[in-house]
Amino acid sequence: MGFRFRLASFLVAALVTVQVLTAGLVYSVTRHQLIDEGKRQLAVAATAFGRQLEDISERVAASVQVLALDYALRSAIAQRDRATVRSALANHGRRVGAARMQLLGTDGRIEADTRPQLGQTEFAYLDLLERSYERPAAAVVSWQGRAYWVVAVPVFAPDLVGVIAATLPMDDALLARLQNQSVLPKTIELVGAAKDGWRVLARGRNHVSLVAALGAGGAPLPVQPRLVTVDGQEYLAQSVRLDGSGSGGEVAAVLAYSVDEALQPYRSVASAWAGLLGFGLVAGVFGAALIARRVSRPVEQLAASARRIADGDYDATPAVASGDELGALAAAFTSMSTAIQEREARILHQAGHDLVTGLPNRVAAEALIQRERMRSPESPAALLVVGLRRRPEIVKTMGHAVADRLMRDVGERLSRIMGEAVARATDTQFSVYLPGQGKPEAIASALRIVEALSAPYQEADFSIDIEAAVGVALAPEHGLEAATLLRRASVAQITALDTEEAAVIYDASTDPHRPERLSLMGDLREALDRGQLELRYQPKLNLATGMIDGAEGLVRWQHPRLGWVPPDQFIALAEETGNIRPLTRWAIGAGIVQAQRWNEGKRSLRVSINVSVRDLDDADLPRRVSELLDLHRVDPRSILLEVTESAVMNKPEAAIRVLRELADQGIDLAIDDFGVGQSSFAYLRQLPIAELKIDKIFTQRIGDSPADRAIVRSIVELGHELGYRVTAEGVENMDTLHFLADIGCDHAQGFVIAKAMPAEDFGRLIDSRQWVAVAERRST
Amino acid sequence: MRKAWSGLLVVLAAGGAAAADLRVLVTDQRGRPVANAVVGALPPTGSSPPAPASKTRTVNQAALEFVPFLEVFRPGDRVVFRNSDRTRHHVYSFSAAKAFEFVLSPGQSSSALTLDRAGVVAVGCNIHDGMINYLYVTDAPWTARTGADGRATLSLPDGVYTVQAWQPRLRPGRAQAVQERVRVASGTPAQLSFKLALLPDSRRARD
Repeated sequence: MGFRFRLASFLVAALVTVQVLTAGLVYSVTRHQLIDEGKRQLAVAATAFGRQLEDISERVAASVQVLALDYALRSAIAQRDRATVRSALANHGRRVGAARMQLLGTDGRIEADTRPQLGQTEFAYLDLLERSYERPAAAVVSWQGRAYWVVAVPVFAPDLVGVIAATLPMDDALLARLQNQSVLPKTIELVGAAKDGWRVLARGRNHVSLVAALGAGGAPLPVQPRLVTVDGQEYLAQSVRLDGSGSGGEVAAVLAYSVDEALQPYRSVASAWAGLLGFGLVAGVFGAALIARRVSRPVEQLAASARRIADGDYDATPAVASGDELGALAAAFTSMSTAIQEREARILHQAGHDLVTGLPNRVAAEALIQRERMRSPESPAALLVVGLRRRPEIVKTMGHAVADRLMRDVGERLSRIMGEAVARATDTQFSVYLPGQGKPEAIASALRIVEALSAPYQEADFSIDIEAAVGVALAPEHGLEAATLLRRASVAQITALDTEEAAVIYDASTDPHRPERLSLMGDLREALDRGQLELRYQPKLNLATGMIDGAEGLVRWQHPRLGWVPPDQFIALAEETGNIRPLTRWAIGAGIVQAQRWNEGKRSLRVSINVSVRDLDDADLPRRVSELLDLHRVDPRSILLEVTESAVMNKPEAAIRVLRELADQGIDLAIDDFGVGQSSFAYLRQLPIAELKIDKIFTQRIGDSPADRAIVRSIVELGHELGYRVTAEGVENMDTLHFLADIGCDHAQGFVIAKAMPAEDFGRLIDSRQWVAVAERRST
Repeated sequence: MRKAWSGLLVVLAAGGAAAADLRVLVTDQRGRPVANAVVGALPPTGSSPPAPASKTRTVNQAALEFVPFLEVFRPGDRVVFRNSDRTRHHVYSFSAAKAFEFVLSPGQSSSALTLDRAGVVAVGCNIHDGMINYLYVTDAPWTARTGADGRATLSLPDGVYTVQAWQPRLRPGRAQAVQERVRVASGTPAQLSFKLALLPDSRRARD
């Protein structure tokens, strides 16, 4: 239920409840008061009515008394002049409005009667007669369904000679007259006792069957005001017993006030009240709705604003103009929204910018570039990645604080010449995005950058040479995505670092980080399982004998999709991704198998397998090799494992351990690519190696470079002095071969002898004696 | 007058046989003593003493009142009304015993009226409603009037009498109080009581 509805319904309910309760209270109190008042008035009216009747009877009695004193009448009565008496009575009766006038003797006999009734000789109301001897008496009697007032007045001549009785009708007209003359209740009934209850003798102005309701079945009439309902209307009724004659039947007057009539004026008040209530209800609902709206509307607005703020829309602040709490709330809201907006902006800024240099960071730069590329994927652009050659050393020697200031300076310089396209791509690199630039423009920009950064960074105590290296990736040829471009430019930049060139353009062919390589690894494992790999063997020529007595196994991969995959691609990748061990294991296994095959055929070839630096970590390697040798029943001396110089030097201690174990098994070990790594002769002496293999760099330049010749010769001598055999790799021509034979090198490997070939082709070669001449030259 | 009558009775009693007193008490219906009640004794027929000569009594009107209020007569007696007031009086009576009417000027007396019938004559004045007077004409040779104590005494020679009592306010329509065969013996005082039903005294009410 909404707040508005709740407020409105509460107000309305309160209003209605209060009004209804008040109305009910007022009505009941009023009614109670009215009834009380009505009872009082009714009692008064009853008394008044009684007195009025008495007044009438007294007046009539007085009038009759005058008649009774008339001498002539007295004389007529005493002398029993009936006719005179009767006419005098009739005359007087008309005067007082009597229906019947009688002269009664002292014995109760009717002496004269203006309305003689058949068979009636005696006065009907003798007790009235008795009472009248003292003074005039009156009684209300019912006779033949009507009410009458009988007034008896004694006649003295001079002593009691008789009584004159006047009978006056009490009819509706009389009651009406009485009601007109005084404030009597509108509803009066004269009732007489009848056999089965009360009989109505006369009625006042309003005809309501009171006695039928009050005295049903002869029940005694109420002498105190009582509430009674007749025909659906409420009345306050009371009865007054009228003085009667014992033989005249009981006559009573019933007076009633209509409660409904009394409440009539209040009806209009009540309707006015109801009208007011209705109006109040409407106004209340209206007002409540308005108030609720005044409250709930701003609240709703604020809620909607809050939602919008949650969605990131900070502009729509509610315009609540009131000066009260809601206005304060709205103002607080607005300031909150502003504060949030500012914080969000700051956070966004921080999220997108580098704190040190103030330039956009990689995420922001990438997003920006991505947007540009998406907008126009075909338009050319150049992405330059600028790095400092010696940053790691700078950090190490000068500390991070200085390095940060240096980076800031570089950033400022870049921004100055390159504008807004500059971002800090990584800790060590800046990126500059130049839309619309092709290769020549990119190169020009790169050189400008290098130029700008050639000036050293000056601080108070020192200066630092910066030396920038720039990698360039061109869009769209080097990539469609910003991430790709960034990566490729980064690769180019690393290449620039390595090659001492100021600016390098990305070359896909030299990119060792192509993602294809990663998939290559998965394929490699598959290849291992599926036997797509094979070992090709390059023969080692024994320069002493001129015979082939060794073969270096080289992994060749026939990729189902890519075709021939050069080993420098996948081996280096395998080493970097840690997949080299299965590869090595497989190679060793294949080599051992082949060695076994050859040596069964009495060929006596020593198979050489390359072992990588990662394999030297593998403490399990010696055991595995041993197992394989045992499995295939191959003499350990049939196997030679080659390890690169740099691999050994990388982890000398671990290498020594593993190599020692291998050597203990009787396997020969050789240092491959000797001369190009960082060798420590101290360690070299500790290694249980049997052979040194001279890197082809030297061998290839033997023909051109006396220096290289000297080096090779030195290595051969050194190796021999240390007890190692020496093999030269990369022999490409006969001259070199001859030279090597001359200086006493033990083995030679190279294209001039043969390329690596499948094992089955090898057999042919072994038997060849084409190099015997070379060996012979040597010995001479 | 009373004394005169009593005296006559005593004479009669002395002259004749032995006499005794008959004491009579008259009360009303509530037992209160009744004054102005006339008690008369009638001997059995045949033995009445001879009637005395007729008397003439005067009823005066003074201070707007008939004085006396009650007078006892024997049939044949005469009554004269005298107006001693300063106003006129219209004296009348409608009684069956004697009906008359005349106007008396102040100081005037009426002629003597002979009351020859026994009965009650109620006399009033037409001008003054409150004036009323009773002339009780009775055959009874011996009568007495009760005083305020309601007692009267009759001195009667021995014998058997019929005693009757009457009072002006006797309720109409009732027979007069009569008691028959009352024996009076000398030396033995006899007592009699009458209880009369009376109307309320209207004289007071009307004035």
